[in-house]
Amino acid sequence: MTDDATLTVWQLVELARNSMRPYSIDYLQRLVPDFVELHGDRLSGDDPALVAGVGTWHGRTTMLFGHQKGRSLKERVSRNWGMMHPEGYRKAIRLAHHAAKFGFPIVSLIDTPGAYPGAAAEERGIAAAIADAIMEWFRIPVPIVAAVIGEGGSGGALGMGVADRVIMLENSIYSVASPEAAASIVWRDNSRKVEAAEQLQLTSRDLLAMGVVEEIVAEPRGGAHVDFDAAAAALDEALYRNLQPLLSEPVDQLLQHRYERFRYIDSLVGAEPHFGPKID
Amino acid sequence: MAVIHRHAPEVRIAGGKMPPISLPTNCPGCGVALEPEQLRKQVYVCDCGHHFRMGADGWIQLIADKASWQERWGDIRSHDLLNWKVPKPYQETVEQLTAEGLNEAVRTGSCTLAGHRIWFATFDFRFVGGTLSIVAGERLARGMEAAAATKTPYVLVSASGGARMQEGVLALMQMAKVNAAVGRLHSAHVPYFSVLTDPTFGGTAASLALLADINIAEPGAAIGFTGPRVIKQATYADLPPGFQSADFQLARGQVDMVVPRTEVRKLLAHLLEMYA
Repeated sequence: MTDDATLTVWQLVELARNSMRPYSIDYLQRLVPDFVELHGDRLSGDDPALVAGVGTWHGRTTMLFGHQKGRSLKERVSRNWGMMHPEGYRKAIRLAHHAAKFGFPIVSLIDTPGAYPGAAAEERGIAAAIADAIMEWFRIPVPIVAAVIGEGGSGGALGMGVADRVIMLENSIYSVASPEAAASIVWRDNSRKVEAAEQLQLTSRDLLAMGVVEEIVAEPRGGAHVDFDAAAAALDEALYRNLQPLLSEPVDQLLQHRYERFRYIDSLVGAEPHFGPKID
Repeated sequence: MAVIHRHAPEVRIAGGKMPPISLPTNCPGCGVALEPEQLRKQVYVCDCGHHFRMGADGWIQLIADKASWQERWGDIRSHDLLNWKVPKPYQETVEQLTAEGLNEAVRTGSCTLAGHRIWFATFDFRFVGGTLSIVAGERLARGMEAAAATKTPYVLVSASGGARMQEGVLALMQMAKVNAAVGRLHSAHVPYFSVLTDPTFGGTAASLALLADINIAEPGAAIGFTGPRVIKQATYADLPPGFQSADFQLARGQVDMVVPRTEVRKLLAHLLEMYA
């Protein structure tokens, strides 16, 4: 485990983004060695920023998704730095329905600065693609577990983050907007990213305290990048432990609990009058 | 799209007179000096077709039949969860806007529109840029759940910059909370009509605003996910004129129609007649 008491918030952000950290494919290679990648949204294209496919995980065929950032410059360009276009969300929902058809549980690994903030994404309806994905995840009648493994940026991350259980690696972050985007919105100056990061409460501890994630997965001493195998083993254990109780849940109950998980996700904050489940 | 004639006839507001809004001296659309009283009668649409941003109070007047508006959950309040200090304490921002008579970025309630019972929610851009907050999300979700339970059509007017930074990741989670409720609305086969006004961006565009059965955009409204300033900062791209406009979204299949504000009440009444 890292001694994160000595790290500033900004150092944690940099650690979460460290290109030496394991990326989705590094975890998938260790979790599901027989992984078969599947491509395309069946509408217009494929999105290399999101890896998707099936593999045998703990003896069970499982649908797995993961943002892929890319390590070399060439790979980053081809993966678009893990920033999804509309095709990516449409691919994910297509394959989520595919998983539901065959009764495969779903695992989603989140590691993105956000959805692609460019003209091409806008032209092809990124807002509606994310909106539709978020709504559809609530209707997928198989268990879903998600883990933030690095960067959980904004709606681009949430579009892959509606799950029955959401866990975070210790040195990962999850935020309403990247610190740069938040600084740009609040001060119209993205160079004030450090101040923004300090305000946003985006560390795994913050998220656990707010009740937004169920668990923090401890990383190997020094961070996940120090020992890929140990990081993958810890992630594997935590994901499967969270999935197990869901596998026997009746579908109606599973979907009702998923609904309630997000419907009352802010009920810990003590707002007045209390936001809790009772509605007149 | 309908042509707006010079000196458009006064729009009949079912609920009474439109509340005043702050207006520039000249119209940014045509440059002509504005007559606030005349404009008010035209629901703040200039003769040239320029639509001025209207607050929640104006939209409630425009949509709800006279004396039919029953506001709900108006007493739930924002909290400074993150102890947000910069550039201004969040609590101070909220208190100041509340003192100005605004009540959060979303107001909701039930009413009738041309005699049809509906659930109605409207964003208010004047309240922290109409940002999706916990209170906004809670009011939206409760209204949608009520509409689904009672099989009552749901009408939304959006004007929002997206999720509220000052409420951090819990503001982001409102997108999931609200979309879960939108899903229930659809599963209940309840008609949902969304009017997208200037501007509708970020977490609001990427959640409930574009998920209606019928998406209606106001002429000239900017609608998109990432705002033009952030696109430029991120990609250095120069965006063509009209990028993310209502007509742009119509051409790309994201909205069903572009309808002037002067026509929207009549349109909604017609749709309610057909779908109810």
